Amino acid sequence: MQDELAFHREMSARQGNQIPLGNTAAIAEHGYDLWRFNFVENLWRDLVYSARGLRRSPLLVLAALVSLGLGVGVNATMFSLGSEFLFSQPSVHDASSLFYVRVAGSSHTSHQALEFLASSGLFADVAGENEEITANYNDGTETHPVSGVFTTKNYFTALGVPILHGRGIAPDDPNEVAVLSYAFWHRQFNGDPAVVGRTINLDGRMCTVVGILPEHHRGLIGFGYSPDIYLPRYLESTILAVYARLKPGMSIAAARAGAIAVAKRMDAQMPAADFKYAENVRVSAIAGYERLRTERDLMTVAAFFAMLLAVTGLVLLIACVNVASLLLARASVRRREIAIRLAIGASRGRLLQQLLADSLLLALLGAGLGLALAQAAAVLLARIHLPTPVPIRLQIEPDWRLVLYAAVLTTFSTLACGLLPAWQCMRESLAPGLHRESKMRLRRVLVAAQVAVSVIVLTTGLLFLRNLVHSSALSPGFDVRHTIFADVNLPPNGYSDVKRKAAYIDQVVNSLAALPGMESAAAARIVPFNGGTRFGSTLVFPDNGERAHAFFHWNAVTPQFFRAMDIPLLQGRTFSPADRSEMVVIVNPEFVRRYLGRRQPLGTVFLWGSEGKTPYRIIGVAEATKTTTIGEDQQPQLYEPLAQIDNDRQQIDFVMRSATPPALQLEAVRRTLHGIEPMAGAQVATMYSSIGLAFLPSQVGALLMGSTGVLGLLLASIGLYGVMAFSVARRTREIGVRVALGASRGHITRMVLKDSARLTVAGTAAGLLVTFLVTKPLAMFLVPGIKPTDPLNFVVVALAMLATGLAATWGPIRRAMSIDPNSALREE
Amino acid sequence: MHGYAIAQTIHLLSDEVLKVEEGSLYPALWRLELDGAISSKSGLSENNRKAKFYQITKHGQKLLAEQQATWTRLSAAVSRVLAG
Repeated sequence: MQDELAFHREMSARQGNQIPLGNTAAIAEHGYDLWRFNFVENLWRDLVYSARGLRRSPLLVLAALVSLGLGVGVNATMFSLGSEFLFSQPSVHDASSLFYVRVAGSSHTSHQALEFLASSGLFADVAGENEEITANYNDGTETHPVSGVFTTKNYFTALGVPILHGRGIAPDDPNEVAVLSYAFWHRQFNGDPAVVGRTINLDGRMCTVVGILPEHHRGLIGFGYSPDIYLPRYLESTILAVYARLKPGMSIAAARAGAIAVAKRMDAQMPAADFKYAENVRVSAIAGYERLRTERDLMTVAAFFAMLLAVTGLVLLIACVNVASLLLARASVRRREIAIRLAIGASRGRLLQQLLADSLLLALLGAGLGLALAQAAAVLLARIHLPTPVPIRLQIEPDWRLVLYAAVLTTFSTLACGLLPAWQCMRESLAPGLHRESKMRLRRVLVAAQVAVSVIVLTTGLLFLRNLVHSSALSPGFDVRHTIFADVNLPPNGYSDVKRKAAYIDQVVNSLAALPGMESAAAARIVPFNGGTRFGSTLVFPDNGERAHAFFHWNAVTPQFFRAMDIPLLQGRTFSPADRSEMVVIVNPEFVRRYLGRRQPLGTVFLWGSEGKTPYRIIGVAEATKTTTIGEDQQPQLYEPLAQIDNDRQQIDFVMRSATPPALQLEAVRRTLHGIEPMAGAQVATMYSSIGLAFLPSQVGALLMGSTGVLGLLLASIGLYGVMAFSVARRTREIGVRVALGASRGHITRMVLKDSARLTVAGTAAGLLVTFLVTKPLAMFLVPGIKPTDPLNFVVVALAMLATGLAATWGPIRRAMSIDPNSALREE
Repeated sequence: MHGYAIAQTIHLLSDEVLKVEEGSLYPALWRLELDGAISSKSGLSENNRKAKFYQITKHGQKLLAEQQATWTRLSAAVSRVLAG
């Protein structure tokens, strides 16, 4: 460019004009403006200038960083939690080409069916797993149950599961091999890599450890489920969930059509008695948004996380308003500087950019701090042991989604914090002096808005806290204070025979009931909150041929069950050995209400069973119990005698009622169980501690929403304090005059209080109104009995807000009272 | 043509009525180039000095035609007003 100008000068000099171009500096500047990436340069310059300015007000920076850091941190944590829980990708190769195949409408199928599917050539690879296995691990001194997964031998190779040490199970391995999870490896072997190649005792079999999974391994089930051991399936009866890798280019619809065709061939070549393979065939995605869409149960969880993110977003808004308020206060100081810039010729856009640089810098630092906090929270969360019957570990790793979300948050924060002060600043500079009052009003409006938003957040938190308290008081339908629960896993060798199992159960029940202090003992297939089986079947009533399509919770129990659990029998009697001659059941009132119609329950016979032809007689009606969650509506229940069913599971539960405190009996129960069958893994606990899962949703909700509510309240109170302090400082002269004229300290206090009260009350009223309109949908997360629009909530929140407002104003009041009229009148 | 020649040409063609403000000549040329109306290349001037030569592009010619049409309409309108 300079060359061009030099050439021009030369040519012009020949004609006699030495200085044709005048001030080349201006021309050069125009050129720079056109060509350079001005935006980046200016941005950098603005940021440096902001940094220097902010360095002079460390308190402001600290307050802003704390507010924004907490706001962004909470949001980032919730986002990670939600995305990990709902969208986590399993640790396999190319998860998008893997699909979950279901035939005959059931989640698992036989290994013969799986092999049929594999050999059909329809899919590139077919593997299967059963993830509900409990294996008994004998470490030399004790046997305890560990959660495990039975897999097909090609599982690791077909799915491409990454391994930390050793290798996965290979198709030509014998049955006695195992792959350990990272957590199990650390717990039992202290992370010693030499364990690969050693043998461990599982269910009485010596299995060679061939590999260790990496720390961040995620299973196909998702939701943080992380079993301890992977074993090759070796029992004929194990049913497997089928996962298939589609051939490249195959669509889901084509896969499903192909699967239906193969299933039809299965029905022809290896027909099953109770069902048809080709009926209700589904091919669904295993991860990501697709999976969420097709599983309806997940939608509730997704809705919960969406609400959580909305509420934490509100908290971030409060934090941003805080920072905006602080920046507004600072803006008044810069009025002259802005006026000068405008006079020199800065464009409005350029000026706005420079003013926004302040909030951008704060937002960037705040977001950085927030991400660090979120990371710390993630580490903490990974350590939490949830009281679930199966091990769940939530591993939160920062990934691009979190960074993107943080970037969005930062942009949002920048604009929310900076636009208002910047705009206000420019408006003022153009017409100085006219807007002094309105700026204060703007800040006051902001604080009132903060209070309103805080009310919303606080009400939500209070709702969930009350929900937790209420749900703890709900009765589960059986006694939890005097009962003990033992979950026993029998080794397959020696107990595959039903008679042998029955003998064992009888022996255990009698021995346990004989323990001193024990009132009664019983065995059951299922204990409420620790598993459940829902049946959907058709019942036929022979008296009038009516067919009822019934869904109920099923259980098989020994006769003493109802006494041990203290479940009242409303009609009829419990099972007895004399019932061997016919099939009997006990049902609950909901079952009677839904399916029996006008009939008297006692003595009613219906046809059920695999053929639908076996008569079952109802001999009793038991009070309903909860089955899965404490807040559920009453579910129909049906009990069969344990002796009546084909008991094919290795797992059995024992319940006992103790007259003495149950915690003291645990050791005796363990010794009894160990004495009868040392190879069986047993977990013994008081019933009270083992129903933790029922309250997990309420606890999680209360923790998350409660802490968010408190955080919102804290931030709003900081905002209120800031505005009141500023207001008092501004009115120093006025207060000084009043005091000089004879105002009492009480008068001054009342003055400041009235000011603050006006803000708080206005904000609270607005907030309550919005809350009332907006919180109806929350009812889906709460147990019955807690209504979102309960007036008590509003009263409590209003009082809390007013009290907080009072506390926040206390400091400024004291400052106001200590104003010395002499110095106040002298200062400007 | 290079920048100096452009200024001279305008001055001469307008019978010395129009004189280009040289301070804003080059920024204008640079802006036109960034907009794509003219293109430039280095070359040697009449007296073997390195200079930047500008040439109109197709897009520039379209713009020129538009501006010409506008100017014609404007000047015709002014003439009509003054005549009437």
